[in-house]
Amino acid sequence: MPRWGMVIDQDKCIGCQACSTACKSENNVPHGSPDEQRLRKDIYWNKVIAVTSGKYPKVNTEPISMPCMHCDDAPCVTVCPAKATYRREDGIVVQDFRRCIGCKYCIVACPYGARSFNSKEQEEKEYLRQDLPPDRSVWGQWPFPTRTHGVVEKCTFCFHRIDQGIKEGKKIGKEVVPACVEDCPTRARIFGDLDDTHSEVSSLLASRDWIRLREGLDTKPKVYYLLK
Amino acid sequence: MALTFSQIEGKSKGFYILLIILAAFTLIGFICFMVSYITGHHVLGTSNIIPWGMPIIITIYLIGLSAGSLILSSLTYVFKKEEYRPISRLAVFLAIILIFGAMMGIALDLGRPEKSWRLFMFFVLNNMRSMFAVNGILYGGYFLIGIVYLGAIFAEKYRFIRMMGMLAVFWAALVHMGTGAIFGFIATRPIFFSPIKPFEFLAAAMVSGLALLIIAVVAIFKFTKRDFNKTIIFSLGKLLLTLIILLAVMVLVDKLTHLYSPDREPIVWLLTGTYSWTFWGLQAGLAYILPIVLLAHPRCGMTIKGVIVAAFSVVIGIFGERFALVIPGTAYPLPFYPGKIEGIWGAAGSFPITPVESFMSIGIFTLMGLFLLVGLKYLELLPVGQTGQQAPQPEKKI
Repeated sequence: MPRWGMVIDQDKCIGCQACSTACKSENNVPHGSPDEQRLRKDIYWNKVIAVTSGKYPKVNTEPISMPCMHCDDAPCVTVCPAKATYRREDGIVVQDFRRCIGCKYCIVACPYGARSFNSKEQEEKEYLRQDLPPDRSVWGQWPFPTRTHGVVEKCTFCFHRIDQGIKEGKKIGKEVVPACVEDCPTRARIFGDLDDTHSEVSSLLASRDWIRLREGLDTKPKVYYLLK
Repeated sequence: MALTFSQIEGKSKGFYILLIILAAFTLIGFICFMVSYITGHHVLGTSNIIPWGMPIIITIYLIGLSAGSLILSSLTYVFKKEEYRPISRLAVFLAIILIFGAMMGIALDLGRPEKSWRLFMFFVLNNMRSMFAVNGILYGGYFLIGIVYLGAIFAEKYRFIRMMGMLAVFWAALVHMGTGAIFGFIATRPIFFSPIKPFEFLAAAMVSGLALLIIAVVAIFKFTKRDFNKTIIFSLGKLLLTLIILLAVMVLVDKLTHLYSPDREPIVWLLTGTYSWTFWGLQAGLAYILPIVLLAHPRCGMTIKGVIVAAFSVVIGIFGERFALVIPGTAYPLPFYPGKIEGIWGAAGSFPITPVESFMSIGIFTLMGLFLLVGLKYLELLPVGQTGQQAPQPEKKI
């Protein structure tokens, strides 16, 4: 069984937010209004933060793009009382909206702020995107026909693509990748099997210095950042 | 039998006016809940950075009051302190109402309250590694134990009462420690994360439960024009003082540990940042300093007024303590990456007070008030003497 993971090359990431928008259109994540953004009520499955370090004149601001880390020892899975969040055999941490009771304990426990609460009945125009490019529309609506407010949402590593790709016998990580990886203009994001020594992610991790976020918590994230 | 209990008459104009006011606010609270349920939680003050708001603050506050109240009832039934007998039935009844209010609070906070039954599918649909699921067992069990306990008290089956009392005390302690663990076990949130949290919650439960009981006893006895033994109130006041000091020491130890370098920014932020007023003003000021000064004062501590003011201060202050835990605890930005995180992702969260959330919160309290009034009218909770007029001095019994 593969163990899917992602590598983000900090040398290539330019902080353009293409990953965030690709994610929003692929997964029908509502755009959110400026007001919602100010109040932190909008939904993000993928975010790009800017982190400044150093002191003038040696200052560096680095964009860090953050999907869900799909931790091997995920605190959200541990705390979810309803088994709505669980880790699949291939390591993807998914959220089942039908089981989720909306207690928000996972949002409190997630060290990466990867989870968002769907806090309103979204207008249809915000959800059902008519403007998906034709190659995307073949996926149909992801995987629940309609979504509901009152539940917690998060990045899924686009598991619908992966599952479909496996069924069709395609090479995951090359022919089929999550939307954010596909749309990254600088190819800063690479997706693949961490346990396969021949995969691109494994060879990058073997040849470059990397970090994972908040290692001190020992959550064993599967998103790696290659250092500049 | 020297000490008997009776209902209140509940026919006065004041009683009905109070009943109508409480019912009206409960209805408003229910409407607000329906608004948040149908349109979504965007009408509440919570957000993705502060996911828990007033209902959760109220819930942990009420659980504390309930556990404290039940533990105090055990003074009579388990530890045989006869001087507390007149208030023992009320303490058990209050404990049941309060835990019910707490469970309501949880239900109101859920995004999908219609699925709250899933919380009680222990070991089947629940992930029992979650402290939330473990607490489901504790809360549900506590509610049932409380009802059986009260039933045994009404039936006057003394040996069974003592057994249930012991179980109830043990369970109440577990309930509150479990609630503390919901917060204390979360390593992500530095203001929550602490091994002492379950014990701190237990001490806070005892403190707030006792303070509420003092207020309830004095108020009910005054309004129903019953005489009461003042020395009970003073001795409860002394007990309250001891427990507040115990709680304050625990909080001090917790904060000092977190203040010790390195990794002290979150607690420094709590003590000096945007929400420092909740800690210093509400928690330290109202829950610890003011009541300690009042109760330790040689004259204030020996007047009913002094004890009551201290008890009020504690009841409000412990609410502040819950607020100072839940809101700043989640508002503190998560350190995703070393360095200064720019923009909204690095800013502390804000928690606007919204009308829907406020009325929903008031509704929880008024609903409990309604239950209390109905309980006082139909259940034999308050003591009367053989003349039917007043509470006599308790005699040795059992």
